[in-house]
Amino acid sequence: MSERDIDKMIDELVEREISRRQLFRFGAAGAMSMGAASFLAACGGGSSLGGGTHEQTKVVQKSALGTELNFSNWPLYIDVAHGKHPTLEKFQKKFGVHVNYTEEINDNTEFFGKIRQQLANGTSGGRDIIVMTDWMAGKMIKLGYIEKLNKQFLPNVQKNLIPALQHIDFDPNRDYSVPWQSGQTGLIVRTDKAPDVKSVNDIFNPKYKGKVTMLTEMRDTVGLTMLGMGKDPTTGSVSDMLAAIDKVDKYVKNGQIRRFTGNDYLKDLPHGDTWVCYGWSGDAVQLESDNKNIKFIHPEEGFMLWTDNMLIPVGAPHPYTAEVFMNWIYQPEVEAPIEDYVNYVPPVAGTKAALLKIDPSVAKNPLIFPTANVLAKGHAFKQLSPTDEDKVNNAFQKVIGA
Amino acid sequence: MAFVRRHRGILPLALLLPGLAWLIIFFALPLYYQGKISLETGSIFNGFHFNWHFRTYTDAWSAYHTQFLRSFWFAGLSTLLSLLIGYPLAYAIAFRGGKWRNALLLAVILPFFVTYLVRTLAWETILDDSSPLVSFLQTIHVISPHGRVLATTGSVVAGITYNFLPFMILPLYASLERIDDRLLEAGADLYGNRRSVFRKVTLPLSMPGVVAGVLLTFIPAAGDFVNATLLGSPNQTMIGNVIQSRYLELNDYPTAAALSFTLMAIILVMVAIWAKVAGTEALMGTEAKT
Amino acid sequence: MTAEAYPAPGGATRASSRPPGTSLATRVGRKVLHWSLPVYSALAITYLLFPIAIIIWFSFNNTHSRFNFVWQGWTLKHWKDPFQVPGLLNALKVSIEIAAISTVIATALGTMMALAMVRYEFRGRAPLNFFVFLPLSTPEIVLGAALLSLFLSLGVNTGFITIVIAHVMFNISFVVVTVRSRLIGFDRSLEEAAQDLGANAWQTFYRVTLPLIAPGVLAAGLLAFALSIDDFVITNFNAGSTVTYPLFIWGAARVSIPPEVNIVATMIFVFTVGIAILTVLQQRRAEKMAAVRPEQEAIA
Repeated sequence: MSERDIDKMIDELVEREISRRQLFRFGAAGAMSMGAASFLAACGGGSSLGGGTHEQTKVVQKSALGTELNFSNWPLYIDVAHGKHPTLEKFQKKFGVHVNYTEEINDNTEFFGKIRQQLANGTSGGRDIIVMTDWMAGKMIKLGYIEKLNKQFLPNVQKNLIPALQHIDFDPNRDYSVPWQSGQTGLIVRTDKAPDVKSVNDIFNPKYKGKVTMLTEMRDTVGLTMLGMGKDPTTGSVSDMLAAIDKVDKYVKNGQIRRFTGNDYLKDLPHGDTWVCYGWSGDAVQLESDNKNIKFIHPEEGFMLWTDNMLIPVGAPHPYTAEVFMNWIYQPEVEAPIEDYVNYVPPVAGTKAALLKIDPSVAKNPLIFPTANVLAKGHAFKQLSPTDEDKVNNAFQKVIGA
Repeated sequence: MAFVRRHRGILPLALLLPGLAWLIIFFALPLYYQGKISLETGSIFNGFHFNWHFRTYTDAWSAYHTQFLRSFWFAGLSTLLSLLIGYPLAYAIAFRGGKWRNALLLAVILPFFVTYLVRTLAWETILDDSSPLVSFLQTIHVISPHGRVLATTGSVVAGITYNFLPFMILPLYASLERIDDRLLEAGADLYGNRRSVFRKVTLPLSMPGVVAGVLLTFIPAAGDFVNATLLGSPNQTMIGNVIQSRYLELNDYPTAAALSFTLMAIILVMVAIWAKVAGTEALMGTEAKT
Repeated sequence: MTAEAYPAPGGATRASSRPPGTSLATRVGRKVLHWSLPVYSALAITYLLFPIAIIIWFSFNNTHSRFNFVWQGWTLKHWKDPFQVPGLLNALKVSIEIAAISTVIATALGTMMALAMVRYEFRGRAPLNFFVFLPLSTPEIVLGAALLSLFLSLGVNTGFITIVIAHVMFNISFVVVTVRSRLIGFDRSLEEAAQDLGANAWQTFYRVTLPLIAPGVLAAGLLAFALSIDDFVITNFNAGSTVTYPLFIWGAARVSIPPEVNIVATMIFVFTVGIAILTVLQQRRAEKMAAVRPEQEAIA
């Protein structure tokens, strides 16, 4: 939070001639972490900061909230009903903050290319929250483009973030990032055309020549292929990655792999252009409900696990409001309706119980709420150094024809 | 004409200036920056440094000449197809359109309004492996019994042709429509048959439209990447895909810029040759000798 | 001007007038020739519109999930709430506004430039032609990225206005090329005649030049509008957090293109066809009026 905001908040407090008690409470929740500790020390008293949901909402200082929040997200990544986003409406009702929700992120690198220069200049173009996949979040943090979070304002996140996501390599203590949704990358199969697919390596079966696609996301395609080669994408070396890319290249050249896709496989599978492909779990939930011959398969060698994270870019105009929003989202009852629509894997503990009450069929879907046994076979892709990233990415882009 | 005569120097300038200024500020200036970037080295982590690094160009060419050649091959083929489809249509709209002329023109540009991506996805539906059209092509042995249309050169070229066809038709129409009916009447009286009239009157008079149409089709086609992405396989990627990936996926700005300038240079050379071949100097501005 | 000596028949009738008294074979040949063009044109139009038919068809698809890829039977359910998807309507509105504004600006500036470049001899015309041509030969991604660098280094926040600026920029050259292809070899005698009759430069332009180049300007304007409303690459760079129709769809395609997109496409189609019909009616009325006052024909 910038000094300007602190000044503004203090001005507001003085203006209202609030009591010492109120001032204290505000300070504990807000200003303490913002380097105004000395000012507040004069007020005396102990901390009243609580960890629970109930207490936290009491602690939120409406005067410190902005009147709006600019949230940039991926398309169709939040609940929708009748032309509106109910979750955002609820937030507005509760906190009086209007969320300017923009579905402007279509691709990690593309979005990065678009806002990089702004971030380098220390402005976010008015954005308060952006959602980026792990590796890109890591890259942006490394480049100093992301504000550090004030964890004092995120008690729900501390409490409800599922353990598997609490410590990740690019942000070991979640100082900068709060997960939005997670997803699994595995095989999606037309069971009528390609029965008995169990292993990643079945994608290379000559029977399926020309009916196989992989993803343009380097980490998904290389990661899964590595798993098929008996390598772990979390700990594997760069040469393991390059070996996987070589393998993919071989199958591009012999015509086994038809093409590399974003979500285009959504169309290719039901049309029968593709029989076996690398794909994402959230899509599979929808595809399976449309066509009983389509199935997401967790390959026996394991699968890829990734997370999209909420981040506050440098120069964000309403960082405090953003934190209040993130914290608010981290309540199972708030997360459940989002999950009901989005169908990825929620990072908020207790969402399943909350969702059972509103939509049991979704709550029982093992793709949305995978068991611990299944999750144990998930792998995150290694955080690469800039040089390694260049090397691997270059090789991969060559193979996909660019 | 007295006013114009007196202000002969000022009028053209006044007509030119606003548009020219716009292009200088929002096109030339940014392009100058890009030119500089193409001679830099570095990465986004360590920053980029300008050091007249011309090797970016030679490296880019040796790594990607395949995609360059493929782009021009696909673009050339699509342009030819567009001309074959577009000329008769533009001719029909201009001379036989009658009161339906504007309606037909609207039909020509209508595809633009449903957005590139949606149109191209519609072609994916039309051409998918189990579509009636593909089975038909298999039965008549145009493609092999297990052959496909999608993810082949054919589908990419067809997609490009489809998407840029209006660029061919509109300038063709604009120049055909201008042709004075009385000249055609005169031609008919002189040569007697339609073919001669077409060859000796209509075609030469429509040449500016052909030149413009070929350029407007060929150039964006050569830089296209969406059709290759959606309708092709890795064996159909074009130089646009490479520039896209260098720029957005790899943040390799110098190479992306160098590839762009190389593409521009080749296009300009081809355009110059085309202008010569087409026998019109429409392009280089020596046309208004009337 | 030899052509002046011939009477001016109506455009529509000219095509059917041909020398009489020829053999049967030639007549059959002519018939075939006569019909081959309309048939060929109809096929070409079908080719252009076929994907749109598919798109319209799928707006009635009875989808069960969020996907609209496989035909599942007829329904009107999506039509009941066509703007169910948040952001779609707004994106469309933004796109139409941007297209309208940038088309007007680009068409005006481009037509002026084309006039100057064709009509006047001045030093530097050849390099100018070359320069105007350059944006056409620059890959879209370069135009977009380069312009974004400029805006950012100037500290301009990208958004609606920067999109308009970008669209005008890439459209000017298209307009110049299109209008110029009509202006070249343009018969100056009519303008001279008007001036001989005492018209001043403005009157000459307004009453003679403009009507004569109008089809070219119209074609250029249509092209500019279409290019603007369809542009994705350049817009994507310079949009800030403004979402245009193509940007919305590009994004939606990541998850699935909802049937509502097909509905909007259908609405645009119907709207455009409506305009087309109106133009036809309008033209018919104008023709009737012209028949009453044939002297107007000379100018139009």
